[in-house]
Amino acid sequence: MTRVSTPEDHEVADLVFRARAGDAAAWDALVDRFGSRVRAVARSFRLGQADADDVFQVTWLRLVSNLDRIRDPDRVGAWLVTTASHECLRLLRRAGRHASGDDDWEESLVDNAPDVDTDLLVGERERALWEAMGMLSPGCQRLLRFLAADPAPSYEEVALGLDMPIGSIGPTRRRCLNRLRIHFARITEGPEGSSP
Amino acid sequence: MTSDNHDEGRGGGYDQDHETDGRDADDVGEVGDAGPFPGDDDLLQELRTIVGRIDPTPPELVAAARSGFIWRTIDAELAQLTSDSVLDADRMAAVRGVAAPELLTFESAGLTVEVETAAGPDGVRLLGQLVPARAGSVEVRHGGGSVTVDVDDMGRFTAAGLEPGPVSLSCRTVVGGLRVDTDWFLVR
Repeated sequence: MTRVSTPEDHEVADLVFRARAGDAAAWDALVDRFGSRVRAVARSFRLGQADADDVFQVTWLRLVSNLDRIRDPDRVGAWLVTTASHECLRLLRRAGRHASGDDDWEESLVDNAPDVDTDLLVGERERALWEAMGMLSPGCQRLLRFLAADPAPSYEEVALGLDMPIGSIGPTRRRCLNRLRIHFARITEGPEGSSP
Repeated sequence: MTSDNHDEGRGGGYDQDHETDGRDADDVGEVGDAGPFPGDDDLLQELRTIVGRIDPTPPELVAAARSGFIWRTIDAELAQLTSDSVLDADRMAAVRGVAAPELLTFESAGLTVEVETAAGPDGVRLLGQLVPARAGSVEVRHGGGSVTVDVDDMGRFTAAGLEPGPVSLSCRTVVGGLRVDTDWFLVR
């Protein structure tokens, strides 16, 4: 896959170079820019609060110690999500929830829904959307939660963070959003009893 | 139970939209009082707004990540993780469900650091071994600060009562004056 570098890439690479030189403001800017993505990896693995927090922390500390070893500074986002994903898998493996060769591991994540504050949802539409989100398959929930990072992750970061073939992200994204619309429609159209 | 629900909850799968196959999304149309369905990008942006409000990165976590920059050192060699018992599938298969100690190996050109961690009643206990065996000291850096422990002539060191979380070991040897930091790892 060829990758065309963008102005944003240069900006990110510049932040890495400046952080290497000891510029704390550049480091802060990296945390601000990629924090949501690192967090989204942990959440897409349905880790609980304490585990998600630890993954977040250790991922950034690893970047501190490996700052001089990042081969492609413009792709530090890819490095971060890969590192976070690795730590998530390690915690899951450690808890015996993701044995190698276990194809159903994503299924087991359903029982461990992150403790988000749904009281902060505003209005019927948001509540219905979030409820519809919870009705999606674990795979769709993972993908949409990760794509909902702010700023949005690149497809390369999605592929690395969720271990998906990059070519499947676009079609899967469309399919999951369509399912979300369907669940949303059922929720907002009224009681289940009226349908056959 | 409606027929197009048959694929829900399948292990590891993404929702397969057999009925629409993603082609006729526009046919879904509008829904009651909840407003029209936006396009994919707009819908995702709505989710992004919701997630940003109900599940934001805790500010104290962002602050911790920012302040982690103080651990940046340029005068120590980094020992990178080369072996991790948790990710050793064969070993895990044998001990699953048993509270086995975790074994990590960090290697640099001059020094190898072997670490065994186990959860105890007063926190995490850590046993370490420098290879080749060298006396010296190890600064155990963790979330709450750092504690320095001695390394004996056999290259062994120990630290106890650590809180679960990220840890890095900064090792100094008396002979040779080596300074080697391990990469950060999580203890439980």
